[in-house]
Amino acid sequence: MKPIGTDVLRRRIGNLGTLPVMPSVLQSLTECLSGNPEKVSIDRIVELISYDKSLASQVLRMANSALFRRRNEIESLREGVMSLGIWRIRDLVYSCTLPALLGKSKDGIAPTVFWRHALGTALVSQHLAQRLAIPNVEKFYLAGLLHDLGILVNSILFPEQFPAVLKLAETTEAPLYEVEMHELGFSHCESGRILAGHWKLPEDISGTIEFHHHPRMDAPHTDLTCTVYLADLLCRLRGLGYGYYEAREFDLAAEPAWQVLQKKYPAAAALDLALFTFELDEHANHVRDLVDSIFSGATVAH
Amino acid sequence: MALETQTLQSNSSVDADLADPFLIKLRELIYKVSGIYHQEVKFYLLASRVRRRMAAINSGTLADYYDRLTTGSSRDAEMRSLLNEITIGETYFFRSKPALDAVSKIILPKLMALNVKKSLKKLKLWSAGCSTGEEPYTLSIVLLEHLAQKFKDWSFEILATDLNENSIAKCREGLYGEYAVRNLPAPIRDRYFTQENGLHRVKDEVRAAVKFERLNLQDQAKVLFMKGFDLIFCCNVLIYFDGVAKKRTVEHFFNGLIPGGYFFLGECETLFNVYDQFRLVHFPGATGYHKPVPGESTGGPA
Repeated sequence: MKPIGTDVLRRRIGNLGTLPVMPSVLQSLTECLSGNPEKVSIDRIVELISYDKSLASQVLRMANSALFRRRNEIESLREGVMSLGIWRIRDLVYSCTLPALLGKSKDGIAPTVFWRHALGTALVSQHLAQRLAIPNVEKFYLAGLLHDLGILVNSILFPEQFPAVLKLAETTEAPLYEVEMHELGFSHCESGRILAGHWKLPEDISGTIEFHHHPRMDAPHTDLTCTVYLADLLCRLRGLGYGYYEAREFDLAAEPAWQVLQKKYPAAAALDLALFTFELDEHANHVRDLVDSIFSGATVAH
Repeated sequence: MALETQTLQSNSSVDADLADPFLIKLRELIYKVSGIYHQEVKFYLLASRVRRRMAAINSGTLADYYDRLTTGSSRDAEMRSLLNEITIGETYFFRSKPALDAVSKIILPKLMALNVKKSLKKLKLWSAGCSTGEEPYTLSIVLLEHLAQKFKDWSFEILATDLNENSIAKCREGLYGEYAVRNLPAPIRDRYFTQENGLHRVKDEVRAAVKFERLNLQDQAKVLFMKGFDLIFCCNVLIYFDGVAKKRTVEHFFNGLIPGGYFFLGECETLFNVYDQFRLVHFPGATGYHKPVPGESTGGPA
């Protein structure tokens, strides 16, 4: 296959009609949440989500899943917003909106596989940030969830080439990123960045999307990018990857991303990365259950 | 993602155990004492073993049993019996598939490249605490499979040691029931076993390279001279040692490995706070430990 290169990527993306538009519920929700948190109207949030009945019921189902629920069953959206908070509800709305976007591409990565990886990376990013005692962790879930938006773009814009790239990665047991660079001349990092710009996502999220395979150590959002980098890696290592075997070994403690975090956050010294991995498997099972229950009937091998 | 957010899926007795705070406390205690961490999915196993011990000593409740393990007069003996119960009967052929995949897909090619540089076409393995032989014979099969294709001029030897003489006798006999071979793919079973009155006997081809020996890992004089191994497996053995003995034993393994060699523990064991000269490495679905070659960098782009 002849590499396509970033020029073609840009030209194709230039034709904005082909790119997925940001779902309107996300646009309105982001607007609604961007102001002073004191003035955020819970009624308005509930109203926004309720426009779409199936979205509302998915959000509720997710809120009640083993991964998110608090002590009592949440019976209404309003209760959900009150009990989980507006940030968490935003996370859940994003989580439930994503799979529909990928659903539009016919070949390539299966929506359940993509969603498991996105959800897994979101949860592990947030969990890792909490364990390292990184302040302001409310963005880590979202950054993890959206880090692979570029895969969505590649599936939609390159419906012939991208499934072939995926197939090649699977047969050579190589990381998708490497095969994309070799075969296409760009990766889902670049295409994700372009979609993030198009969607006007905040800079720290766009930066994480662009640099999650080669974190920059000097950017203002280094913590976020490094954490998502490690979470993505851990998910791929523990059965929440792209659905195939990556024949690679990783010394996480030697990864620059880990070393940056370790220097900044003393809690890292007490974190047993092996044990953290074993604990992660428990969440991975919950992620699979959740994805399967929401896409009932749609089960895939992992 | 704390324990409190994990909830019961149904009302079966297994799930009732999950909710028991004393089972969770027991897990922490067992982890602290032995380094064995029971993942949530393995709780049913932990519960059934604990119940067996409770029946044996007429302990009526988990709370009472926990007390006996922590403040009871024979707490040390009981902890030993519990650990015996936990590790018993757990062994079968091809037990940890992800670790074996890592060996054949990632580790063997690296080790062979390393040895070829020294004009050595031989691999040396050690199964320490080999129990009734399933592990060393599994490794023998993995190596036979790997070398059969393109490396007919290579040879290997596997040293298999255990403290228990009865176990060593069973190893030498090489005769196994259905339980031990249940994980074997049919072609492997047909190729490397013969049927004998409903039992399965390992073929000479598999035995040829395996040498069995009774060995106490605490026997300094002997262990000190065991050198030149490429790969060592020591699963669920260290749990019986106290901190000092554990560290000393792992140090022997480290010194017994060639630079660039690998070391594997049981699936959920970790070396954190035990010994820090090994590098923890993550493979898909498995964690192992690597003895670095001086000057080697283990990190890479992911």
